[in-house]
Amino acid sequence: MKWLPETKAFDEAFDRNGAARQHYRPLVSILESFTQGEIERRERLQKLSLMDQGITFAVYGEKEGTERIFPFDFVPRVIPSREWERLQAGLVQRVTALNLFILDVYQGQKCLKDRVMPPDIVLSRKEYKRELLNVIPPRRIFTHVVGTDIIRNAAGEYLVLEDNCRCPSGVSYVLENRNTLNRVFPEFFKYYPVRPIKDYPTLLLDTLLHAAPRFSEKPVVVILTPGMANSAYFEHSFLAREMGVVLVEGRDLIVEDNYVYMRTTQGKKKVDVIYRRVDDDFLDPLTFRRDSLVGVPGLMNVYREGNVGLANAPGAGVADDKSVYAFMPELIRYYLGEEALLAQVPTYLGARAPDLAYILDHAHELVIKTTGDSGGYGMLMGPFAAKKEMETYLGQVKKNPANYIAQPLVELSAHPTYVDGKFEARRIDLRPFILYGDSVRVLPGGLTRVALRPGSYVVNSSQGGGSKDTWVLAEKPT
Amino acid sequence: MLSRVADSLYWMGRYLERAENITRLLLVTEDFSTETQGLAEDLAQTAWKDMLAIFPSAQLTREITPFAPLSVPYLHAFFTDQANGYSINFSIRKARENARSVREALTLEVFLALNEVFRAVEAYERKGMPDLPAFRDALGAIHKGIFTVVGAIEHTSTHDEGWRFLKLGESLERSYRSALVLRTRLPALLGAEARGDAPLYYTQWRTLLRGLSSLENYRRVYGARLEPNLVIGFLLFDADSPRSLRYGASSVRDYLGAISGPGELTAPGRIIGRLHADLRYDDEAQMRRGDFVGLLDRVVGELAKTHDAIATQYFVT
Repeated sequence: MKWLPETKAFDEAFDRNGAARQHYRPLVSILESFTQGEIERRERLQKLSLMDQGITFAVYGEKEGTERIFPFDFVPRVIPSREWERLQAGLVQRVTALNLFILDVYQGQKCLKDRVMPPDIVLSRKEYKRELLNVIPPRRIFTHVVGTDIIRNAAGEYLVLEDNCRCPSGVSYVLENRNTLNRVFPEFFKYYPVRPIKDYPTLLLDTLLHAAPRFSEKPVVVILTPGMANSAYFEHSFLAREMGVVLVEGRDLIVEDNYVYMRTTQGKKKVDVIYRRVDDDFLDPLTFRRDSLVGVPGLMNVYREGNVGLANAPGAGVADDKSVYAFMPELIRYYLGEEALLAQVPTYLGARAPDLAYILDHAHELVIKTTGDSGGYGMLMGPFAAKKEMETYLGQVKKNPANYIAQPLVELSAHPTYVDGKFEARRIDLRPFILYGDSVRVLPGGLTRVALRPGSYVVNSSQGGGSKDTWVLAEKPT
Repeated sequence: MLSRVADSLYWMGRYLERAENITRLLLVTEDFSTETQGLAEDLAQTAWKDMLAIFPSAQLTREITPFAPLSVPYLHAFFTDQANGYSINFSIRKARENARSVREALTLEVFLALNEVFRAVEAYERKGMPDLPAFRDALGAIHKGIFTVVGAIEHTSTHDEGWRFLKLGESLERSYRSALVLRTRLPALLGAEARGDAPLYYTQWRTLLRGLSSLENYRRVYGARLEPNLVIGFLLFDADSPRSLRYGASSVRDYLGAISGPGELTAPGRIIGRLHADLRYDDEAQMRRGDFVGLLDRVVGELAKTHDAIATQYFVT
């Protein structure tokens, strides 16, 4: 069996001398005990299983109704318990601070008055919803479900790349990847104390029940999806089934007398908590975008009255802004009086004159991003950009500098990945999922995305990425 | 439950049942036409043309070439052709589309089984069938696949409101289609007489029974001898055979009753209740009168009305 470790960046499985790291040794030897033919047979089995189960996502811009499977690589990523403990503590700290920040932005704006960051950075963003000033959700929680993207640099240090406080997706793949690997390579699990993740739906439901208005005794929870054409539809229906709650579309809900109801065969039924997988802008055509067809007219009024819980709370997106990200270490210090436990990528702000000059001068070394986008959209990879492309992009930056930030290109860590009969190193990242209910909890695992194209840094599913099962190891019983 | 979900489950049930009906009718008609085409080509032709009356809006998109077997264009049109709204391919796609839009309301087993049939049909469409045995093979496999879905529905789902809407769709589609099969085939059969070609005459009655998967059920009650009057009576009024019209009306009525709850009389409940009473209590008089075409027209009409009333009562809120 051929292994091709990474040479430029940090290899998760092999050290510099090409020897397997301790926590990868059993895995490597199991894989080496298989013949090529056996591995190929298992791989075919796995692909078939994904297609048969309809575990697919929709790709925008392709023929209507196109379904594709999210490629799955069977070599699992292994995270030792001690590394995970540190990551977990850092994530809990970060999400706690993020929630305090959002709360502050919509009530008091102390951090802006104290000039922890320039007020403009928050107030000029479209994710900042002026309509929601002083509208505070039940139990003062905005960020019920957060997916934080983590990468590792060439030294193997974990860095936060971005926070997703709106509707982070991918958790269904985390659960399904574990199922798939269990079925296809049961041998792997014999030598590893892998922490289970199957209770995520239960934890999520608890979190959502915690978001209910105080008066509801037996709260009715629903998931709001934009519909079948949405790229994450599989996940929406998956979570509804796993939690045993109703999956609704905007047209299934109506607002009457400042309460939300769903239309059922037995008439109207009151809804207490909506886990909405619809962006703020589309939630309510009366408050936000008028052309929204997936929203519920009047919903925001009900929310303002405190008669329905929304998860995540509207307005939380302000924390996803990439310029806000730049100030996270200061925000953690400001709200918690602690130093940030997790490092992050140095960030240059287009909004700051000296930074802007640096960005324009060093564009060929930097990754430049728009502040509001995610999913790899609106991004320029300086080191790989063609001259023409660079010029056009920088033209845009000059026109509206506050809309852009830049970061040095991080050599993402790489992980052995099965490609054409060999185990080659491919770049990866990690999205753990954090739930904020009566306490802040991190699911022991996460979505490891992998850039399947050789040399690529882009792990997004919409752009040729795949995923892996992610193992967090338990402390070995002593 | 959500009206939208009830609507989708109802249609999932209808499309699944429709796919099964088409598959069965194709297999039975193919058998009949292969057996008789040398003997009486016009009968074989008529049997295929009847498909277009049983599925009134169906369309043949391929030309009928003179040397190819008679069955081939019909098999294409009703099996793999997506452009025909009454092909197996179209129906399975629709069933799956409905299932996909309410996946959380179904068990994993149901969706997996349905998805497998869908992928099998897709594969047949892509590869094509080189000859009649290949067609028969493929249809047989799809038939089994559909039964797997139906079995998964029966044995893995809770028999709650969602399941009732699915079964309501299934039983309404079944009764409606059975009524159309009878309405299409009975007039010609009643007009023919068992003269010299008696075996051919009985083959047609047998085919009618098989087309409604009732041949064995009939034999169990009346033995192997096919008496036209007994066959008609059985297909219209038998209490236990799942494709008799009486049985169909009684299941539609029962599912509607279970959905609305005891004592609650709804608009669709009234329509189907009256129809059921006719089939249940008026059977002897109907047989004496012998106006089967009139009776079948009424059944088809009342079932269509029941469907409309169901939609108004439950799906539009």
